[in-house]
Amino acid sequence: MADWFSENLVSILNGFAIGSLLFILAVGLSIVFGMMGVLNLAHGAFYLVGTYLAYSLLDDGVTWGGFLGALALAAVFGLVAGGALSVMTEPLAKRPILDQALLTLGVSLIVAEVLSIIYGNDVYSVAPPPGLDDRVDVGDGSLPVYRLALIGIGLVLALIVYLVVEKTSVGALVRASVADREMVSAMGIDNRKVKVAVLGIGSALAMVAGVLGTPVYGVDPGLDESVLLLALIVVVIGGLGSVKGALIGALVIGQVDSLGRALLPELASFILFGALAVVLIVRPRGLFGPRKVAS
Amino acid sequence: MALPDLSRRQLLGAVGVGVGGLALTACGGGSLGDDDGGDGGGGGGGGGGGTIRVGLVIPQAGVYTPLGVDMQNGWDLWLEQNDGKMGDFTVETVTADEGEGPDTGVPAIQQLLGDVDVVVGIVNSATALGVAEQFAEEEKLLLITNAGAVAITGANRNDFVWRVSFTNAQNSAAMGEYLATQDIGSVFIMAPDYAAGQENVTAFTAAFEGAGGTVAGSALSPFGTTQDFQPFLQRAQSSGAAAVFCFYSGGEAVAFVNQYADFGLKDTIPLYGSGFLTEGSVLNGQGQNAVGIQTTLQYSTEIDNEANQAFVEAYQGAYDVLPTVFAMSTFDAANVLNKALAEAGDTSGTALGEALGGLGTIDDSPRGPWEFEDQNPKQTIYLREVVDEGGTLINSVVEELGEYGTV
Repeated sequence: MADWFSENLVSILNGFAIGSLLFILAVGLSIVFGMMGVLNLAHGAFYLVGTYLAYSLLDDGVTWGGFLGALALAAVFGLVAGGALSVMTEPLAKRPILDQALLTLGVSLIVAEVLSIIYGNDVYSVAPPPGLDDRVDVGDGSLPVYRLALIGIGLVLALIVYLVVEKTSVGALVRASVADREMVSAMGIDNRKVKVAVLGIGSALAMVAGVLGTPVYGVDPGLDESVLLLALIVVVIGGLGSVKGALIGALVIGQVDSLGRALLPELASFILFGALAVVLIVRPRGLFGPRKVAS
Repeated sequence: MALPDLSRRQLLGAVGVGVGGLALTACGGGSLGDDDGGDGGGGGGGGGGGTIRVGLVIPQAGVYTPLGVDMQNGWDLWLEQNDGKMGDFTVETVTADEGEGPDTGVPAIQQLLGDVDVVVGIVNSATALGVAEQFAEEEKLLLITNAGAVAITGANRNDFVWRVSFTNAQNSAAMGEYLATQDIGSVFIMAPDYAAGQENVTAFTAAFEGAGGTVAGSALSPFGTTQDFQPFLQRAQSSGAAAVFCFYSGGEAVAFVNQYADFGLKDTIPLYGSGFLTEGSVLNGQGQNAVGIQTTLQYSTEIDNEANQAFVEAYQGAYDVLPTVFAMSTFDAANVLNKALAEAGDTSGTALGEALGGLGTIDDSPRGPWEFEDQNPKQTIYLREVVDEGGTLINSVVEELGEYGTV
């Protein structure tokens, strides 16, 4: 057992790091979808914008100033982009959910194409900030320090989002909207303003995840699709509109993607969707999905 | 519509659209691209001979776009150096976009085929295999400048499909035989889980074990959906292998080489690969992590011969970057097509195929002398090592590993 643990410790920790990154990415998607009924397929493209932002600011050398600057810019850009997307989806608010999904898919294609025109189709990499660019020996292998730091960042962000949603009046509004949007509206709250704010924050988290993910996944024009797929799987497993669900879903997928592939390499292509299928069969609304949805 | 009214079925449907939409965008790239063709070069000239219309099929959208740019550059450079003429023919180039896979590549070529005499290019092996039969039916020549699947020029080849690039087996077999003589201990093999990856693994294993080497194990990573190679790297580590051989290209080559260093394997387990691991623009993304990696390929900018020096100099003068194997292959395709047209004096596939078969040794190629064997190059494979030369990463030539034809 000790041998097994020592041999696989790197995979386990790496799984937590990937899970942390996925949580930051997926929690916005989950709350926007769960609360506002907007399936934001541009979420992956926003992640991609974050990676190119990091690349633009950090290509000449990574400093803490540049890295934190990229994070701050990503948050601002994300708020603006999310707000704009919210305004764009407003005319479609009375239409079926798929019409809005189509709009956000179109936005995502345009964003990815514009990035490809500006930056070309080559693949780049960005080093972690100074001090985090080394690695530490754990178990039988070694792990980049940056990935350890990601675990911490993910947990802190999870705690902040959890406290905001569960303990503040703004959070109460969010939870109320997830539970019964029309009732919230009837109480005199302007749904549109809430939607702008929630989409803005969700998109900001996606772009921040893009900056944080760059030292791990690099800068690659195809990343928008691969991370969106992972985020959708996390949302389906965790359940819509639930912070706890997004966290648990992300950690599960992180472990499946890391430890799962290390232990069952023959099933590597299948294991991610296998986990998804199991959850859908056993608990179709996701691990922490709201019961109301099925009413 | 407010959310509480939605049934679970509708919600799942919406997620389904999300996943389906991803598939859509994945295939959409190619067909959205520019396929109405641009005039790549030639034109003008006038006088003497006729005109030959050449379809240049290259990826202009999707993950292979950088390869397409290199191929176009190689083609344009040759035409520019030769006044847009091949044999007595004035060349009219019609460019078409093959996109990422056969879903976009095959229709693009089918549409092009009625309009041109010869087709040159093709990156994706599945696309090449998908159209091969049609060239036989139309009796037109297809000159492949990248796609490396063994089957394209293997036992079931037809007389109209010729290749000037390589087979997947050539590079890996050369590395396998070389490493077996180096007494480096057991080797772990890694590749993406698709046709080209499997061909490389098979060829390397056969050559390496055939020459007395020991394989410590192998791991195939899911193609296109693996962002994190850590689980596979761990398997390589715990296998106790003394070295790793891999086949990765493009974005995966960048991620793999960087993570190989990130997780500390670069310092302890030397990395060997098929040449595409460190070819062209991927070196920018890999940076210092690539230094010291040894690979096998039929080309390097550092090959010491007159034709290569002239080619590298002209290419750098025209495009301000070092040429890649993709540029060289397409440049070479123009070169052999020119020779075949001069010999045949005819643009039909039958005449050109016969002429190509009778060319003998091509002695003015940047890759060094080579000849056709079973419609595919029999050529020298070079052992290369990535070195940092004053801030520029290059693949220096360590040694020639001998000629490889049909492996």
